[in-house]
Amino acid sequence: MLDNDLITLDYHALNAMLNLYDGDGKIRFDADRMAARQYFLQHVNQNTVFFHSLDEKLGYLVEEGYYEEAVLDQYSKNFKRHIWGEAYARKFRFPTFLGAFKYYTSYTLKTRDGQRFLERYEDRVVMTALALARGDEALAMSFMDEILSGRFQPATPTFLNAGKASRGELISCFLLRLEDNMESIGRGINSALQLSKRGGGVALLLTNIREHGAPIKGIENQSSGVIPVMKLLEDSFSYANQLGARQGAGAVYLSAHHPDIMRFLDTKRENADEKIRIKTLSLGVVIPDITFELAKRNADMYLFSPHDVECVYGVPFSEISITEKYEEMVDDKRIRKSKVNAREFFQTIAEIQFESGYPYVMFEDTVNRMNPIAGRINMSNLCSEILQVNEASAFNDDLSYSHIGTDISCNLGSLNIAKTIDGKDLGATVGAAVRALTAVSEMSAIDSVPSIRRGNDESHAIGLGQMNLHGFLARQHVHYGSPEGVEFTSVYFAAVAYHALRTSCELAQERGQPFKGFETSDYASGSFFDKYITRDWLPESDTVARLFDGIDLPTRAEWEVLKADVMKHGLYNRNLQAVPPTGSISYINNSTSSIHPIVSKVEIRKEGKIGRVYYPAAFMDNNNLEYYRDAYEIGPEALIDTYAAATEHVDQGLSLTLFFPAEATTRDINRAQIYAWKKGIKTIYYVRLRQEALEGTEVQGCVSCTL
Amino acid sequence: MKDMTHTPIPRAINWNRLEDEKDLEVWNRLTVNFWLPEKVPLSNDIPSWATLTDHEKQLTIRVFTGLTLLDTIQNSVGAPALMPDAITPHEEAVLTNIAFMEAVHARSYSSIFSTLCSTKEIDEAFRWSEENPLLRAKAQAILDTYAPGNDPLKRKIASVFLESFLFYSGFYLPMYWSSRAKLTNTADLIRLIIRDEAVHGYYIGYKFQRGYEKLTELEQQKLKDYAFSLMFELYGIENKYTEELYDELGLTEDVKVFLHYNANKALQNLGFEALFPPEVSEVNPTILAALSPDSENHDFFSGSGSSYVIGKAVATEDEDWDF
Repeated sequence: MLDNDLITLDYHALNAMLNLYDGDGKIRFDADRMAARQYFLQHVNQNTVFFHSLDEKLGYLVEEGYYEEAVLDQYSKNFKRHIWGEAYARKFRFPTFLGAFKYYTSYTLKTRDGQRFLERYEDRVVMTALALARGDEALAMSFMDEILSGRFQPATPTFLNAGKASRGELISCFLLRLEDNMESIGRGINSALQLSKRGGGVALLLTNIREHGAPIKGIENQSSGVIPVMKLLEDSFSYANQLGARQGAGAVYLSAHHPDIMRFLDTKRENADEKIRIKTLSLGVVIPDITFELAKRNADMYLFSPHDVECVYGVPFSEISITEKYEEMVDDKRIRKSKVNAREFFQTIAEIQFESGYPYVMFEDTVNRMNPIAGRINMSNLCSEILQVNEASAFNDDLSYSHIGTDISCNLGSLNIAKTIDGKDLGATVGAAVRALTAVSEMSAIDSVPSIRRGNDESHAIGLGQMNLHGFLARQHVHYGSPEGVEFTSVYFAAVAYHALRTSCELAQERGQPFKGFETSDYASGSFFDKYITRDWLPESDTVARLFDGIDLPTRAEWEVLKADVMKHGLYNRNLQAVPPTGSISYINNSTSSIHPIVSKVEIRKEGKIGRVYYPAAFMDNNNLEYYRDAYEIGPEALIDTYAAATEHVDQGLSLTLFFPAEATTRDINRAQIYAWKKGIKTIYYVRLRQEALEGTEVQGCVSCTL
Repeated sequence: MKDMTHTPIPRAINWNRLEDEKDLEVWNRLTVNFWLPEKVPLSNDIPSWATLTDHEKQLTIRVFTGLTLLDTIQNSVGAPALMPDAITPHEEAVLTNIAFMEAVHARSYSSIFSTLCSTKEIDEAFRWSEENPLLRAKAQAILDTYAPGNDPLKRKIASVFLESFLFYSGFYLPMYWSSRAKLTNTADLIRLIIRDEAVHGYYIGYKFQRGYEKLTELEQQKLKDYAFSLMFELYGIENKYTEELYDELGLTEDVKVFLHYNANKALQNLGFEALFPPEVSEVNPTILAALSPDSENHDFFSGSGSSYVIGKAVATEDEDWDF
């Protein structure tokens, strides 16, 4: 089928053929494989700096200031030869063009002029392992093994930066609170700039800021509300973007009961005025249960002035459970309030989601009910999977801290479910991953934002994620969202939770201390473990039992033992799991993204740095296409059921995107949101729409646009 | 007889009494597809723009001024000229939408210019477009057909050729850049324009076919001859125009194949057979694949993509809130 003519095509053209059926209506996987090969022959090999030996290479890279000498000095020369030898002996090859292209465009170490490659994939893996193992040879070997085998993949900031001499932070993601005063807002913008410059995504909480028209120092109609703050943040992020290697990106969260909520949503309208239009800042809305109850009764929902609430209760608005205090606040005449119809509020959200994909949604009461840690969770992050408690900071007039609160950072990494299952040793893989992520936390100290530093030092929060669920299920001929698919998800995530907790308990013993606040957590009281010792979380159907063939799964008795250990020794990490959307790393790792269904058999990926590239779903061939129904065909309910099964065992959140055909209505979106909330989902990430080409206008023979 | 001089009062348009279902289908599609250039963060392309050579920059600006001219024609002359020929009031409504979106497209190119280029560069390019004989020639060929008193079906032919054929020598370049990871947000914007033009060409072609069916065989033959001779004329101009623009980058052969592909598409929209055999219309896969706006998975932080639409608002009912 691929005749010799094709070899004359360049790798971009070969890759694009993946999106065009051949004469027999088959997808041309071989064209993509040839594209990957041609990419190496035509581009990578020709542009890679050659060294005669490892010693020469490392010597050069350290001397020229590319590699961090301190990382390499922790190991003997012999060990370095050993680990590099082992790594190269694996004969790693990128199975897709996008995997190779993404790696060499965005991750690998290049000469300072950006023209020549200094690392191959194996080098990046080994350097990451050496950096994170901090001198422990056995640990370094296990990190190298887990990463190179594809079972564990650190998140982009870690994998991109580890071991490099001039680098950004290893941490992915930051969350900052803003309080209702100018010092906090100013400091927040500064922090956003600092964190953005270092390559992280930043989310900020706006809920506590007083609304448009609220009094300042008792004078009415003075405050400008949250929109101008959003404008400042948007510009800050695009400015920091020019300095950092990674695109600056930010999100803001606002309570549904904040008086500026409708204005907040309107910033994403197609016809919004330029003065208020928000283009690149992401929005999230925090919705408590009471809002659903009010919508059910088709009642109005009251919006409360944050400043008045803080005056009455003595704590910021975000510390209040609106569901609990709703009637009380409605009756309190000291709190000024306005109202909108609750159903119209939900409909507006859906309208804006149609136009822009935003806002994200966080179900506040679900999140707090399932939070084992004392304190309130009032926001999430740029990808809506981080859910941790925070504490307000206070400032002096000169903008120095009078009280350093705690803000949130999270470093992430994901397991490839298929490779992890193939590896048969869930305990070892999860254990290595938790240790690698903990190392990132321990190696990080963000001094430019003291509240972030304090939060990280005290919590050692990490977020272990998962990807390639759809790829794995399809390879095993199980449909995504089927009862067996959901059952697998539940059993798998329960087992991951067990091993993550077990490893964190070991770390607490090794380090001799648990995270700060362990004593007041549900782990310390043991109540967290109730659901694991009162029932089994093991396969019930034969199909799912077969998927776990040869793998040890934790029994109720083992959970009992773990409970006793944790209550006695504590946990080192306050937070353990969070399932991110996994964009870039899933391409390098040859996975389907996160635990989402695929968006298309052949995905069109577009990014600033790589342009438009085509990516085939993991493990797909022309014979198993029926198991690769995409997210739009699968529909929201099967997706939500799958996520609900995982959510049960994840202490933080999971980025859940909802997919609809463009013919859907706002009502369809609202119904899916209600269903998600009912099923105990914690957050909703994007809403995505797919419009089919009008009959007669489609591009002929295109894989991604044919259903 | 005095009454005869009054402007006739049109019938109030009733969308619940459709004479042609296609009018509503296309109206719905065009309205959900409504967009403005402000939605695309073009300024993210500034670093990428800086990596182009001076010649590449000049070529890009020229291509866009050429497109601006075509959109201006279609907005100010083309779509309005089709309106008096409308058979149904709904068709007229669809054409007003088409006219307006063409103005949005013309506006979009200026957004690109003001984001990426200096005033001097922009002025130079507009002067070029005013003086370029080939660009003038194709504009003239279309405008002649649009002239009042001309056959309504001929006007539709010209309009489809403009929408489905003439634009594409220009569209090639942003698609080429985006496949090379350059100007990707500009390409998003162009893809939104392509999404609209595809529907416009299809719809006007559909209306042409409805009129064509009613003709006698002889009339049909004459009209078809006219269509092909106009296509040949335009193709001749377009070929030279392509050579003039793309020779220096070495892309001319590739663009010509793309022209063949789109000429065939334009004829297909009119219900005619293809002019160019498949061997010479096999478009470079990177360009062809880049044309599809559907289900693209962009990273949301750097762009807004081309798949979002204005949704249909439907209120929830009590049964939806049953929990």
